[in-house]
Amino acid sequence: MRRKVIEVRNLVKRYGNILALSGVSFDVYRGEIFTMVGPNGAGKTTTVEILECLRNPTSGNVKIFGMDIEGHEEEIKQRIGVLPQEFGTFERLTVEENIRFIAKIYERRVDVSNILQTLGLLEHRKRKFGELSGGMKRRVGIAMALASCPEIIFLDEPTTGLDPQARQELWQTIKNLRKKGMTIFLTTHYMEEVEALADRAALILNGKILITDSVRSLISKYGGGFRVSISEKRGIRILRKVGEKIVQQDGKTTAFFKSREDMLEAFLYLSRHGLKPEMKEPSMNEVFLNLAGGRINEHGELIQ
Amino acid sequence: MKTLHLTVVLFKNWIRSRMGVFFSFLFPVVLLLIFGSVFGGGAGRYSIWVQNRDLENGSPSDLSIAFISAMENSGVFSIKMIPPSVEISSWVKEHIPSFTSYRVLVIPENFGKKAAEKGIKVRGMIILSSLDLIVETYGEYMDENNLRSIQEGKSALENWVTGITPEEATLILYVQEGDASAQVVSSAVQSIVQAFNNSLISAQSVIEVKFTTLSERTLKPADYYVPGYTAAFIMTNGVIGLTSNISEFRRNGILKRVAATPLSKKSWILANLITQVILAFLLTIIMIFLGRLIFGTSGTPDIFFICLVLLGATLFCAIGITMGGLIKDVEAASAAGNLVAFPMMFLSGAFWPIEIMPEILQTIAKCMPLYYFHQGLRQTLILGNPAGALTSFVVLGALSVVFVLLAVKITKWKEI
Repeated sequence: MRRKVIEVRNLVKRYGNILALSGVSFDVYRGEIFTMVGPNGAGKTTTVEILECLRNPTSGNVKIFGMDIEGHEEEIKQRIGVLPQEFGTFERLTVEENIRFIAKIYERRVDVSNILQTLGLLEHRKRKFGELSGGMKRRVGIAMALASCPEIIFLDEPTTGLDPQARQELWQTIKNLRKKGMTIFLTTHYMEEVEALADRAALILNGKILITDSVRSLISKYGGGFRVSISEKRGIRILRKVGEKIVQQDGKTTAFFKSREDMLEAFLYLSRHGLKPEMKEPSMNEVFLNLAGGRINEHGELIQ
Repeated sequence: MKTLHLTVVLFKNWIRSRMGVFFSFLFPVVLLLIFGSVFGGGAGRYSIWVQNRDLENGSPSDLSIAFISAMENSGVFSIKMIPPSVEISSWVKEHIPSFTSYRVLVIPENFGKKAAEKGIKVRGMIILSSLDLIVETYGEYMDENNLRSIQEGKSALENWVTGITPEEATLILYVQEGDASAQVVSSAVQSIVQAFNNSLISAQSVIEVKFTTLSERTLKPADYYVPGYTAAFIMTNGVIGLTSNISEFRRNGILKRVAATPLSKKSWILANLITQVILAFLLTIIMIFLGRLIFGTSGTPDIFFICLVLLGATLFCAIGITMGGLIKDVEAASAAGNLVAFPMMFLSGAFWPIEIMPEILQTIAKCMPLYYFHQGLRQTLILGNPAGALTSFVVLGALSVVFVLLAVKITKWKEI
């Protein structure tokens, strides 16, 4: 049985009249990448900041390492690493100085050059933080989060606002941390990020968790399946023969398949016969569309 | 230990900021140098044009020469001569650009002669009144012969003196309307005239004014500026600098980043305080050093002075942390800092004695913490009188406690 490192039960957070979190519950297990995914304003950062002991909950139970967050703030802060949203640090200190600062605060003997190496910052260590690019800054932020030798690392929207290249690089970094056995709590509004990184995901919308499950299971249950669609009559006949399930909609016939291989086979067969089939794989985008009734655009806004 | 690490980081981050260093160190130094040189280097000489029309056979009269050299020796004037023949108003139009201040002293024709005649008459009058006084006081002890000859001599002198009717010897001083220096110039001329009046009647001064101070050392104007500037800029470093710094720390996420570590809120505030206190002492050392080197100011920092710098730096730093914590917007925080700091800087008497200001402003000055700070620094550093700084200690100490508590209360380590 995997060990729970975070337990959240009926977490409520109210800002005046606004209910930011209305009874959120989930668990995070040791060694996994847990993702909280949802549009802006869904309550992701509020949740993370309560877990990081930077914000007081209105009600509910939150346990980290089996300790209630209330009254154990310092102990918990000693054992976690944090990359806050829109992270910033001392602009006129170098990359290395910023990382060493955190290491000193935690009074840990940390191999700073190892951290620099892990994050690909070794050659930039003498550069001032303020002179770095957005992607580089986030990497410094993760390095600072690692400088406390944490058991859990919280990454609040680590790739928001980064270009695709920088995002890919950061994903690789996060994957490497996972390989080293780090527990990672990550928030994002990018479905691709969930697919690329997460073991399990919680979909959050308007302060409520819609579902929490492993990403694999979410995609297979709600991802829309492997499917091929076609509008040409000749194609429809072929699809009816090979498909598991047939659906007709908007003048198109869609056939569902058990596996990617079956889907590909049908797609290639139709293409070879001069037809123009369309093929779709299950995805987190579909999961979100199915469960939340909308999609999230690049800026994190929910589009119904 | 952790607090010290944070202090080192805050200090490093600060010292690498060119703007910060400029406003905290260079700006005060430049101002001290400018103001110290303008007001502190002793009064400059007033240039004055002199036209000497008092000629005897084509050369200036002895009295007029003596008068001009007395003006030169006074150290107040630098004298330039105008030829005796020119007409003043057209000369001024021709030689002085409009809206430029000028002073022209005209010694008129027969000035020496008139003054001498008047002098003789005045002397005669003095002798007459002296004889009156003598007769009145000692007459009853004199024998009749003596008394009679005195009376006869007196009436003869009286007849002669009344016969002399000299014209007034008048000097004419032209100044531009609204010239601020006119009063100083005219008083200086007056005092020279007074000295001449005395010597023309061979009188000796009965009353003399001697400029002196009550302290053993002589004080220079820069002795006023050095503690004043030190206090004012420790204040601005806290109230302007730290207010916007703290606001900036929140905007760029540093506050959240530090709050996420096990460091306590008290450590954060303490580290900021220590950083400011270090800056305050650096600034103080620079100011005292420059004051000594360039303006020859006196004063040695003692333990009371050091304590006051510590208290002042703590107070203004706590005010900065409080304001920076209250005002979320960085630009607004910076504006608020300026709004508090600048009136305080100019009204509290840090740059000039409050006695030259209207009474209402003097009362306002005494409501400002900076007033007690610079007064205290002056008392301890320059006058060596820690007892005189007692009020400063009490006021700054009490306010420090209040504002440090406020800073702790206002600073948000955890969002509600």
